[in-house]
Amino acid sequence: MKNRLKVLRAERDWSQQDLATRLDVSRQSVNAIETGRYDPSLPLAFRIADVFEMAIEEIFLRDE
Amino acid sequence: MTGGDTVPPKRSHRLWVSLFFLSTAIIGALRISGAINGTTGFILLAIATGSLIIPMRRAGSCASPAMATYNQRVLLSSFGYVLGLGIAVTLWNDYELSRPVVFAISLLPTLPTFGIIWAMARYIADEQDEYLRHRTIMASLVALGFVLAVGIFWGFLEMFELVPHIWAWWVLPVWAIGLGLAQLWQKVRGA
Repeated sequence: MKNRLKVLRAERDWSQQDLATRLDVSRQSVNAIETGRYDPSLPLAFRIADVFEMAIEEIFLRDE
Repeated sequence: MTGGDTVPPKRSHRLWVSLFFLSTAIIGALRISGAINGTTGFILLAIATGSLIIPMRRAGSCASPAMATYNQRVLLSSFGYVLGLGIAVTLWNDYELSRPVVFAISLLPTLPTFGIIWAMARYIADEQDEYLRHRTIMASLVALGFVLAVGIFWGFLEMFELVPHIWAWWVLPVWAIGLGLAQLWQKVRGA
């Protein structure tokens, strides 16, 4: 699953650790999700959406 | 909770880990060369493990509090294992023991290894970071596959008398090697 995490993070000038702290997860988790190696669970996806104040489908995109 | 509690690594961590492996290698070399006997080897190994556990743990970095607790439990169990094994082997070598006593001393190294297995189970239950939990479960499955594959292959080689018999407790070290290889592979992949 593709995502716009890196772009959204850059727009806010957040490091991976900044985002990890906001999500209460490890920096490794943010890195794995951002690079597409790990798809987050629905609860974590909702937390990510809350942090960016966006809808989940605006952050995570279907693989075509 | 994990992200806010992540402790940055300290430079001295590698030093303590290196010192641990170096001391283990030196003790092993001394034992193999016959410079020290088995009992002395176990005592030195217990001292090396015991004295390096605390600085190694303090200097180390952990991705989550659950991992820090896991590391602490595994290190303590490993120390108990070395100590228990040393005592059991020494008693076995130096004394004529009754069967119930032999049963009891076989528990000395066994129970700490149960501690290691329990620590892994608790870690998976306690880890709040779903990605770290997923990573550990995947590495554990690889380790399980590794120990099954090696065990089955060795068993048939042994049955056809190509290799010597080995004791069943080797499953834990082989599993740990598999876990280490899987985690190394995850690191190489950047996972």
